[in-house]
Amino acid sequence: MAKSLFSFLERRKNWSVPYILFLVFFVVFPLILIVVFAFSNEDGSFTLAHFRKFFHHPEALHTLIYSIGVALITTLLCLFLGYPAAFFISRMVSSRSRILILLFILPMWINFLIRTLATVALFDFLRIPLGEGSLYFGMVYNFLPFMIYPIYNTLQKTDFNLVEAAQDLGATPRQVFLKVVFPLSVPGILSGIMMVFMPVISTFAIAELLTLNNIKLFGTTLQENIYNGMWNYGAALSLIMLALIALTSLMNGKGNAKAAEEGGLL
Amino acid sequence: MKKILSASYIAVLLLLLYAPILIIVVFSFTEAKVLGNWTGFSLKLYASIFQNGVHHSLSNALWNTLIIGVIAAFSSMILGTLAAIGIFNLRPRARKAVQFVNSIPILNPDIITAISLFLLFVILGISQGYTTVILAHISFCTPYVVLSVYPRLQRMNENLYEAALDLGATPFYALRKVVLPELKPGMISGFILAFTLSVDDFVVTLFTIGNEGLETLSTYIYADARRGGLTPELRPLSTIIFVTVLVLLLIINRRAAHKRIRNEN
Amino acid sequence: MKTEKQIKMLQRIGRLFVLIPALTLASFCMANENEREGILKIYNWADYIDEDLLKEFPVWYKEQTGENVRIVYQTFDMAEVMYTKIALGQEDFDLACPTQALMQRMIHNDLLLPIGQDFGITPNYTGHMSPFIIDRLDDFNTRGKNAGDYALPYMWGVSGILYNPEKITPDKVQSWGCFWDPSNKGNMLMKDSYWDAYATAAVWGYRNDLVSGKRTVYSVINDHLPEDIALVEEQLKLLKPNLAGWEADFGKDMMTKGQIGFCYAWNGDAVWAIEEAAAVNVTLDFVVPVEGSNVWFDCWVIPKYAQNPKAARYFLNYLCRPDIALRNMDISGYCSPIASPELLEAVVDSSLEATQNLSYFFGPGHDSLKIDPVQYPDATIIERCAIINDYLDKNDEVLDMWSRAKGDNLFGGMTFMIILVLALLIIWIALRSIQKAKNKKRRLSRKK
Repeated sequence: MAKSLFSFLERRKNWSVPYILFLVFFVVFPLILIVVFAFSNEDGSFTLAHFRKFFHHPEALHTLIYSIGVALITTLLCLFLGYPAAFFISRMVSSRSRILILLFILPMWINFLIRTLATVALFDFLRIPLGEGSLYFGMVYNFLPFMIYPIYNTLQKTDFNLVEAAQDLGATPRQVFLKVVFPLSVPGILSGIMMVFMPVISTFAIAELLTLNNIKLFGTTLQENIYNGMWNYGAALSLIMLALIALTSLMNGKGNAKAAEEGGLL
Repeated sequence: MKKILSASYIAVLLLLLYAPILIIVVFSFTEAKVLGNWTGFSLKLYASIFQNGVHHSLSNALWNTLIIGVIAAFSSMILGTLAAIGIFNLRPRARKAVQFVNSIPILNPDIITAISLFLLFVILGISQGYTTVILAHISFCTPYVVLSVYPRLQRMNENLYEAALDLGATPFYALRKVVLPELKPGMISGFILAFTLSVDDFVVTLFTIGNEGLETLSTYIYADARRGGLTPELRPLSTIIFVTVLVLLLIINRRAAHKRIRNEN
Repeated sequence: MKTEKQIKMLQRIGRLFVLIPALTLASFCMANENEREGILKIYNWADYIDEDLLKEFPVWYKEQTGENVRIVYQTFDMAEVMYTKIALGQEDFDLACPTQALMQRMIHNDLLLPIGQDFGITPNYTGHMSPFIIDRLDDFNTRGKNAGDYALPYMWGVSGILYNPEKITPDKVQSWGCFWDPSNKGNMLMKDSYWDAYATAAVWGYRNDLVSGKRTVYSVINDHLPEDIALVEEQLKLLKPNLAGWEADFGKDMMTKGQIGFCYAWNGDAVWAIEEAAAVNVTLDFVVPVEGSNVWFDCWVIPKYAQNPKAARYFLNYLCRPDIALRNMDISGYCSPIASPELLEAVVDSSLEATQNLSYFFGPGHDSLKIDPVQYPDATIIERCAIINDYLDKNDEVLDMWSRAKGDNLFGGMTFMIILVLALLIIWIALRSIQKAKNKKRRLSRKK
């Protein structure tokens, strides 16, 4: 027994076996469970009733569409606000840019609930009533660093020889930017979009806290259903959300690999 | 002119980013219940962190968070390192497959991970509590550890291991003395990353924490937030977290700078 | 070639790898098994009990029975969550505290163990509870089961409006109409609860019928006729844009901070809020509008999955002591159904000027008591209140209506914008692929 264990362990590729088992058990199987729950009734029989319920239920469908809308607006806002910031910082002296980037990343390491509550506190302090405005402010506030960081990283890695070459060839600063720098930063943009759009679609605590429960996003619908024991319907909704995210990842292509890398802010 | 514009743009953005946090920091040093009233300098709120009710206790929640974080991070580090070594030695097709499955927890939105694990524990009949939370945290932390250690394997000189074997070392000895030291930086950063993810996690913890009164920092804050937004005692807590993170990042930055200077010389 | 030593070492390592997880699992399971008998699991509303009692009860329990017990205490802030957790059978709470409507549903769905009159050391626990509450239990008998056998009332109260006289004048809040009045937009919160919202919308929607006597408050709240549900939906949809938000529990906090003018509140929360606000020099007051409102009570039940009903029953007995009840009342602001003379003595406040008619509660002869009017509503208020029953079969329908009324934020502009973005995206992708194809052609032609 020991001998076979030993020769098994000798092959280093077999060291991945415990983890593969772990992945199957804790990642693959649970996802399959979601699929199974989504398509079954309380007594276990196959049914499409949950999906039918979703499409016939204006409330759930509208919440999803509304959440997509919020996510789009947030992503665009983060992009328009974040790209210039990342661009300016990447142009600065390296010591200053490192500190600035640090300052922008720092909020990411603070618990996101505290960040959200801090936004609520700000609005309370300024006596501005909470509502849609505070929702977008809070979303952008939470996710702006996630947009700035990938773009900054990509801009940093840009080979400035290319920029110089373009300038030598007589390009105006505007052309340099539009034809050289911007296209090269597109992977960063795509990564940033993934890192903002996806979480916004699936958050739930942020909207509750920032709008006094007035605005409900799809994440909240999901959470409510699970909490209220409607596991099957909740699983169906999760599948719909997964499908949506898979769709956006497909469209994003290159951004995915980068997003995985930067997901850990390594 | 352009420099002034760009500098001021950054400044305004940073101001907006830090205004909420700074308000909380400033008002953590006063006793007023309403954020915005300044009733004189006082450290009472800081003291109140440690006095608490029987079951809804901030110090309990902090303690749980730290324990869960350490256990989950440590387990992820070990599991992830072993996995990285294993994956590195797989055939290309198997490797790609495992890497794909490995990236699923990273790319998945956390609420989907949470629901999937919730259903798993329901089906298995495991009652939720410490175990389920730790298992859940390990399951979403380990992929990051793998991603952290794997590049180091790629950069490592493969021949070193073979050379050690040729010189008469047993595989385990070679592992301990040759491979692991090379991987150590990746393992450490993987550990830190896993710890941070675990401490910061909210959604997955919420769905796997059960009903025995177990609380982590995130669920504690959430319970309080539902009742009254940012309660006064959360202000000193936020300040402490903010300062800790700031100091940590400065230290990391400084070490990275020193390393860079050393490498350049 | 491996030496014997190496093989032995490997065997040891191999065994460890198997033993450690196995031992951990085993000890974990065993620990759980043994411990459960000594644990009392309680599931209660947040801020609803004097938490020192959780430490004192085990001492009392040891005195009474000689056994040790440890309390595991979990709170909830939405009643449906509590119901679901128990109904699904995943949790083995020994005690839970549902509202009267949910208690009815739990009895209806066979989820409870009988409380038993013979618990603890004081068998006749209903002895000093007011008949006002005990008699109400009969309203909730269902499927041949006596509610009184399964539920022990814990706290009771009425619902009304907690308001800040500086932000909204008292005469405006005498009617529920203040919620629907556009001039109050953004100045108030409604509870995120489909019982309270339904009852309020129904009373307001049918106010004319109530005045003319065509229907009673009880029927309007509890009949759940299709036209009732439709009317409530209409009223809620009118209410939603006027609100600042739907609160689960942060209403009293926002009132104390002076951020809103008024909110729907239970009188116990109002008592607490008025006191808290007074400490920061904010005056608050509470009123039950003239059209009518609801009276409610929360009660303790023993779910059928309970593992320690014995300790549960002792705990209930403990809670029925007037001195313990007083402590809970003080901490939460709510009102206990206990009407014993000692409790009466403790709650009467001779420094007050106005008197309230509490003979419906304390018995005849108590029609002018100097007592906190918010905590103990006068008889005239009770006359226009009715108790909410559970929706039972109509529950799904009402829930659907509730999510329709509450949920819809989507407006045309948003849909249009999304379609626009999608269109732009598709165009952009199309352009890029055309560009790529062109580049490929150019490259190929250049190679030639």
